[in-house]
Amino acid sequence: MSENIFAEIYNKILGLFGQNTKDESKNTAVNRLRLVLMQDRTNLTPEIMNRMRTELIAVLSKYVELDKEALDLNIGQEGEQMALMLSIPVIRAKDEAEIEEALKKETEKANEESEDAEAEEKEENNENSESEATDEETEEKQISEDSEISEQGEESNDSEEENKEVDTSEDEPTSEPAESAIDEKQIPKIKKVQKNDSEEE
Amino acid sequence: MTGRVIVITSGKGGVGKTTTNANIGTALAKAGKKVVMVDTDLGLRNLDLLLGLENRIVYTIVDVVEERCKLKQALVKDKKNPNLCLLAAAQTRDKTAVTEEQLKDICDELKEQFDFVLVDCPAGIEQGFQNAVAGATEAIVVTTPEMSAVRDADRIIGLLEAKEEIKSYKLLINRYRPSMAASKDMMSKDDVVEILSAELIGIIPEDTGIITSTNKGEPIVNDENSLAGRAYRNVAKRIIGEDVPIIDFEEEAKFSTKLKKFFSKFLNKGKEN
Repeated sequence: MSENIFAEIYNKILGLFGQNTKDESKNTAVNRLRLVLMQDRTNLTPEIMNRMRTELIAVLSKYVELDKEALDLNIGQEGEQMALMLSIPVIRAKDEAEIEEALKKETEKANEESEDAEAEEKEENNENSESEATDEETEEKQISEDSEISEQGEESNDSEEENKEVDTSEDEPTSEPAESAIDEKQIPKIKKVQKNDSEEE
Repeated sequence: MTGRVIVITSGKGGVGKTTTNANIGTALAKAGKKVVMVDTDLGLRNLDLLLGLENRIVYTIVDVVEERCKLKQALVKDKKNPNLCLLAAAQTRDKTAVTEEQLKDICDELKEQFDFVLVDCPAGIEQGFQNAVAGATEAIVVTTPEMSAVRDADRIIGLLEAKEEIKSYKLLINRYRPSMAASKDMMSKDDVVEILSAELIGIIPEDTGIITSTNKGEPIVNDENSLAGRAYRNVAKRIIGEDVPIIDFEEEAKFSTKLKKFFSKFLNKGKEN
C-alpha cells in the first residue's frame, strides 16, 4: 500500500518536472491521424500499401541487396502535394553480373509462367531469411547443408557468413552464391541508412 | 447590396457549429453589420435557443419554402441587436422538407438585404449538408483538437473543395485547451492546421462560460470578460477583413506551466529539507 503511494507521488513529481518521462499522447494522435487521413484521402488501404511494398521489393531486389525489414513505404504530404515516400536501406549494390543474372532469371520466369510463382516464392523466402530471425535460418541451413558442402567446399567460411551463404546457395544453385558471399565480406554493410519518418517524430 | 453567404459546418456533431454561428453572428452585428442566421438543421434546431429567441418563432424556413409566409415574415429579430435576424429551422420536419435549390433561392434573396448570411449546417455529410452548402460561397469549418473531429473536418474540406460555388474555406479550432496542448496531451493548433493544411480563422479556448451563456440564451461574445467571447469577436473582425493576430493561448499556458513547475520545485525543496 504505502509503496504504491510513494510510487504515485514519485511519478507525479516526475511528471511535473520532466515532460520527457511521460509519453506524449498527442504524438500518437497526430501519427494515427496522419495515417488514417492519408488512407481516407487516397483510398490506399493498408493491404494495397503492403502489396505495393512487396512488388517494389521484388523489383528493387534485382539491382540492389536491400534490408527488406527496414524498407519503409509511406504516404506523406509535402505542402499541397501528396507524396509516396520510399526509404530503401541498401545493404550493397549488386554488380553487373548479378543484375544480369537477375534479369535473365526474370525473362525465364516470364517464359514459363508455371515456374514463375514458385521461383518468386523461393526468392522471397531466401531474402526474408537473410534479415529475419535466426531460427528460420538454422532450419534452412540444415536442409541445404549437403548441397552447400558439395558446391562450395573449397571456400573457407567465417561462421558469421555461413548463414548467408546457405541462403544464397539455396536460392541460386549455379555459380552465384560463392561470389556474392565474397562480395559481402569485402564491402562493409550499410544497414538502416535511413530511418522511418514516423520514428523521427 | 450583395452580402456574403458563409456556411458554418464541421462534419462531426457537437464540436460547436451552432455556438460558433450564434457568436460570430452576434459579433458581426455588434460591429454594425446586417446579419441573418439561417438554421438548416431541420428537426434538430438549436440556434434559436442559443440566441434566446425560442419563444419568438412564428414561421420557419419550411413555412417559407411551402409559401405559408413571406421570407421577411419568417425573420426573427434579435432581442438586443436590430441588425441581427434569425431564420429558424422547422423542428417537426426532416431534412427532405427543403431542397438544395430552395435553400439557394432563400440565400440569394437574403444576401440582397444583409451583409452576412450565416448558414448553420447540420452534422453529417448527407443531404442536410448538401442543402446548407448550396447557397454559400464561403465556409467556416469548425473542429476541435480531437482525432475524430479533425478526421471529419478533413472529409468536409474534401467535399467543400469539390464544390465550385465555395470560393474559400477557413478553419476554426474550437474548445481549445492550451494547457493540454502545451503539455502535449492534446494536439496543438499547429498540428491541426498542418494536418488539415487549411487557413486558420480563429481559435476558441474551452470556456465554461459557454455553458452558462447557453443557459441564459445569450451568446458569450456579449461578455466582455470572457476569453472565448474575445476570441469570437476576433474571428468576426477577421471575417470583416481586419488583421487581428490569433491569440497565442499556448504561450500563455506555457508560462503558467512554468509557474507551476517553479512552485512545485519550490515545494519539493521544502520537502527535502
